[in-house]
Amino acid sequence: MTSSETAVASREVPAYLEFSFTGRALEYFGIWIVNLFLSIITLGIYTAWAKVRRLRYFYGNTWLDGHNFEYHARPVSILIGRIIVVSLLIAYNLLVSVSPFFGLLIFLYLLAFPWLLNKSMSFNARMTSYRNVRLNFRGSYWGALLAFVIMPVVALLTAGLLFPLASKLSNDYIGRHLGYGSARFETRAPLKALYGNLGSTILFVIMVTLVCAGIGFVIGSSMVSVGNMIEKGGDELLDVLTFGPITGALIGGYIALAVAYLFYAAGVRNVAYNHTVLDGKHRLTSSVGRLRYVWILVSNLFATILTLGLLRPWAAVRTWRYLASSTGLLAAGSLDHFVDEAAPEGSVGAAEFFDIEGIDFGL
Amino acid sequence: MIKGRYFPAGSARVVAASLSGTRDRLVLHLENEPDAADAKLTSVSDPIAGVPRKLTFADGGVFEAPLGADVDGLLKTGGTFFARLTRLEANLGLVAAVAVVTIGLVFAAYRFGIPLLASGAAAITPAPVVAAMDRGTLETVDRAVFSPSQLNAGRRRKLQAMFEELSQLAGDDGPALRLELRQGGMIGPNALALPGGTIIVTDELVGLAASDDEIAGVMAHEIGHVRERHSLQQIYRVLGIGFMVGLVGGDASQLVDDVVTQASALQALVYSREFETHADLYSVGLMVKAGRDPLAFVGLLDRIVRDAGGSGETGWLATHPGTKDRREAVRKRAEALDGAGETAQE
Repeated sequence: MTSSETAVASREVPAYLEFSFTGRALEYFGIWIVNLFLSIITLGIYTAWAKVRRLRYFYGNTWLDGHNFEYHARPVSILIGRIIVVSLLIAYNLLVSVSPFFGLLIFLYLLAFPWLLNKSMSFNARMTSYRNVRLNFRGSYWGALLAFVIMPVVALLTAGLLFPLASKLSNDYIGRHLGYGSARFETRAPLKALYGNLGSTILFVIMVTLVCAGIGFVIGSSMVSVGNMIEKGGDELLDVLTFGPITGALIGGYIALAVAYLFYAAGVRNVAYNHTVLDGKHRLTSSVGRLRYVWILVSNLFATILTLGLLRPWAAVRTWRYLASSTGLLAAGSLDHFVDEAAPEGSVGAAEFFDIEGIDFGL
Repeated sequence: MIKGRYFPAGSARVVAASLSGTRDRLVLHLENEPDAADAKLTSVSDPIAGVPRKLTFADGGVFEAPLGADVDGLLKTGGTFFARLTRLEANLGLVAAVAVVTIGLVFAAYRFGIPLLASGAAAITPAPVVAAMDRGTLETVDRAVFSPSQLNAGRRRKLQAMFEELSQLAGDDGPALRLELRQGGMIGPNALALPGGTIIVTDELVGLAASDDEIAGVMAHEIGHVRERHSLQQIYRVLGIGFMVGLVGGDASQLVDDVVTQASALQALVYSREFETHADLYSVGLMVKAGRDPLAFVGLLDRIVRDAGGSGETGWLATHPGTKDRREAVRKRAEALDGAGETAQE
């Protein structure tokens, strides 16, 4: 067989395939604004179609080795999922405002969370295909409970010291249960690299704080004239030396903490992808620049807000393109052999719940 | 004929292929296979910029047409909704026009649509639900903030009588009004109105008042909140704003979400200020009807603000209009009502 020969031959020299995104900001602007227009005049009903169209644009323009991805969800099922989720959320909020006792439902939610998560991941995986073969996700209740409910709480209780362990568990969990057709993914994120990433994140926060303190000092000292200082004596000097830098440090520290999780998440993505193998031989790669990623998201935020949302399409395309181009696959041989297989379909309701609540596990 | 590539059912293997024929009878010709086969089409992916069209057949096989191939021409599907939409999205002039209209729509929805829908929704919210919300909220705040009123029984009776008098004048268009007296604890001198007609006045506020008219003015203000359904409208407006923001930045990342949440909290404050002004004006009307001094409660507000160390100016972030602006607005309303009353008497 020639195919097994090529597989053997290429195992020694895996081919590096890079993901790429061919969408353009102006092109997506057209899709986005038409989606928005139709969503408004249909009082939100069209949002289900808009979501499918948006994801079909982003997936469909993402390429690997001459093939693109596809998003397959049917808008009508998305709409039904949304109606169910919104009704449940309204009912829950009404119940809570009628009696705080119903706040206890939150415990029920925590218990159901792993199940919801698995159903949602199954749906989203199942709706994604590459080369006519779909992704799939087969979760386990206890694994998800440990990785997504228990560990985050434990990590918070240890003041973040166990965040890398929580990241390892959640990424390994997703990787281990994800499949491409009949082939399985496997993620083994090394703890050492994840702790290194936490260290860099802390360093990042400290550096930003110090730099802002320095800026505060410069601004503070430029606000007093030398004459003023002589007149008022040492007090003024003391003010300059303390007030500027402290204000700067406080503002800088606050900003740094607000964006630290972006920095951290980008690092985790790199570690997790670089230790994810498909079918025991093809390895994913990720080389997201953490500072660059923070910069992209923060500048996107300002661009979006300052233009009251009009630059949102540009920002979305920019982020997606950067992430795609930072991702690759070290393919050990041809990608011809994958075959689809029956897999859990998941639940659109669960998927829409996470979508509406803004809970997202990908980067 | 369209040259493209073909994936056998459920397989990532790709074969060069071509598709020809008409919508009713499609013929698929695979390279390296001598015989062309009739293909029964089950679905075609909708067109969207940059994405190759995929045709799925009854046997599960998929034919991928290259970008730009005239699939709609072959299948005669050029008139479908998404085919038209894709042409619209690619036409910069039309897109610009849609953008202008959409910006106008967003503005109109924000300025008029949401407040209108909110007041409609507030009006049709079933009374039992609102009453239950009152019970729940009162239960919560009683546990968390308030303790029973320490005012003596006589004083309490007088306040209840005064409230009764105002309620009668306010009419019964809406939920029944009820006064609850509480010790304010950490919220100090304060008064609040729950959507179902429960109005809470704290001992500290009563203690700070220099006259009954001052307390009556505050009560009338809270009655205004209830009668004009401000709390419910507020809830629905915040929901509406959240929904709009979701539409504009629906695919946005966590960072945008965070900032936007802050922004809608700010927006809620702007709305509350509008409601406060309305309640003030309502209070003036009710106080004039009751033959009491409509300006009195502004003095009480002054004292509360001074106690809390606030400023008299309208702060950008303040929920309540600054007392200076407020006094001015209240005085104008009172004068207007006074004038109207005099002309009516003449």
